[in-house]
Amino acid sequence: MSSLVVAQLINGCAIGMLYAVMAFGLSIIKGLLNVPNFAHGALFATGAYVCYAIANMGLPFGIALIGAFAVPALIGAMLQRFGLEKLAKADYLLQVLFLFGIALALEQSLVVIWGTSGVSLTAPSLLSGSFDLGFMRLPRYLVFVTVASATCIAVLWFLIERTKLGSQVRAGIEKSEMARCLGINIKGLLILGFALGAGMAGLAGGIALPLLGASSSSGNDMMSIAFVVLVLGGLGSLYGSVVAGLLLGIVQSLSTLVAPTMSTLLLYVVMTLVLLVRPQGLFGER
Amino acid sequence: MSNFQFNRRDMLKALAATSGSMMGGATWAQSAQGDLNIAVLSQFSGNYATLGPSILRGAQLIVEERGGKVLGRKINLLQRDDEGKPAVGVRRITELVENEGVRYFTGNASSAVGLAESEIAARSKVVQFAGGGSDEFTGARCNDFTFQWSAHPYTACSSTLEYIRKLHPNAKRIYTLTADYAFGHSLLKYTQALAAGLGFEVVAGDRHPANERQFTQYFNKAFAAKPDVVLLLTAGADFLAAARQLHSFGAKNLVVGAPWAAEIDDLKELTPEMRAGLILGLNYHAGIDHPVNKSFVVSAVKKFKTVPTYPMAMGYDTFRTLFLAMEKANSVDPTVVAKTLEGWRFDSVHGGTQIDAKTHQSIRPYYIARCKAASEMKNADDIAEIVYQGNKPQPVELNDCKRA
Repeated sequence: MSSLVVAQLINGCAIGMLYAVMAFGLSIIKGLLNVPNFAHGALFATGAYVCYAIANMGLPFGIALIGAFAVPALIGAMLQRFGLEKLAKADYLLQVLFLFGIALALEQSLVVIWGTSGVSLTAPSLLSGSFDLGFMRLPRYLVFVTVASATCIAVLWFLIERTKLGSQVRAGIEKSEMARCLGINIKGLLILGFALGAGMAGLAGGIALPLLGASSSSGNDMMSIAFVVLVLGGLGSLYGSVVAGLLLGIVQSLSTLVAPTMSTLLLYVVMTLVLLVRPQGLFGER
Repeated sequence: MSNFQFNRRDMLKALAATSGSMMGGATWAQSAQGDLNIAVLSQFSGNYATLGPSILRGAQLIVEERGGKVLGRKINLLQRDDEGKPAVGVRRITELVENEGVRYFTGNASSAVGLAESEIAARSKVVQFAGGGSDEFTGARCNDFTFQWSAHPYTACSSTLEYIRKLHPNAKRIYTLTADYAFGHSLLKYTQALAAGLGFEVVAGDRHPANERQFTQYFNKAFAAKPDVVLLLTAGADFLAAARQLHSFGAKNLVVGAPWAAEIDDLKELTPEMRAGLILGLNYHAGIDHPVNKSFVVSAVKKFKTVPTYPMAMGYDTFRTLFLAMEKANSVDPTVVAKTLEGWRFDSVHGGTQIDAKTHQSIRPYYIARCKAASEMKNADDIAEIVYQGNKPQPVELNDCKRA
């Protein structure tokens, strides 16, 4: 039994890292623009389809993942520049509705381009198969998911914590008015922030493609979990989403040992319990 | 004070006149002039929006083959969208029966919807030929007017296990991954009932919630049980996600079976590597070697430029069966036709078929297909080959139908 617990912990960490990547992007957008990105799930699905299309052209999987980041990032930049920027002074609800409408438009666009049936991609041969650890089989692709997700988050951490641009992003998140007064190009920052967040959603979709496949609605499932991670980690806390993602992945994985049919329900129970104790989330500020 | 005088004779005359007009309405079916209204009530919207149109096409095909008539009556084929929701299905069938005079219908994709509609069928005395796989149609919720076109889940499980036993004589240990809703429970129940008799042992299993997308944690448990066979007692998008993630474990010696998970077309969502070797149970396959099916396939390809799959076959074969039964009974009265169907042996798209007199279950072959590896495929549509067919009916002692 203890070996099964360890196996589920390892599995949970891998799944959790994928949730963390998805939520990290959501957290950037929420932190910078103070608006929940209801198009995040659709961007996840878009990234998955772009990854699929590029890989099916015969190009390496790594190139496909770059495309999975780049195309949603570009869409995100355009959404901010030509949409949310114009709605900046409008009612908050209008911004939310705009993003919701974009989500629907993106999903229908995916249907028009790729049809109603989903698609799958076999992982590259180097990432196929599993490691036999004796007490468990560990799919190589799950190891890749963990490493790739951790690398993305590490790169973004470096960008945000160790570069001038990153310090401006942090300033924009924490004190946007002051940042504007100090001459920081807030408009450019917001476009960059939305692009980064959208790109992370797309990249998560690409990374998840060999495991979850892609369909026009595949982002909806991840969207729910991403919001749970965001809230659990603390609104505005970038790294809270990483910890929360890992926590939820582990909870979901371990729950199959005691109550498999309640694995999804338990995610929301955990969120509720944490919020009752800490309404600001694990790492948020009151 | 009224001048109306009322006596017993007038009362009896009035009652006779009223009864006569009602009888006339009820016996419209006997008149040679009345049209016959039939309906496809299925999903035309939502996640399974492709099912309804496919079933409708099958129904249109058989109506056209008959020149739009049966027993001299014009056939009016109606369609409605049940949206995959029982409440909507009930509303639609009630409206079809009361406002449009529909007396025969088919098309439910969801068992829950079909079972809700079966209450209306029984109450309104209209014939329903149900799709979906729940054993309740011909079990605890059987009634005089509902018939089941799909094979019984017992037949599905027995055919799958029989084939696995034939192909893998040494396989013994089974792990089951079951969808946690009624149909999944049925598949698990029958798997457990059949396993020992075929030399298998169900060593472990898990139930997953509907719409689950993460399955690697279940497969961790599966591999801990060291199974020879993994049975995916789940369906639709859940099955596809499970198949993808099971493939990621790269367990080449593992036998994977899915008694009632998807139709051939759905498998196109998986890559050939993901589905190679998968043993899949099917209610229908275009390659069924029988003249009725071959003629159907030729007609479908000619008219719709597509090889028919399960939904279209269901729409075609259910109404074909009903029209043949009407001709046999020389009546379009649903009560008479329902009686005619009971115990009847005839040829359908499956070949020899019989309808159980008590439960109204269609007893016909269930097909087992083996998915081909990429190197075996002649073209993109050559996904699987039929390797086995079984037709073991549900034993009487496992059936809960209380019809006399």
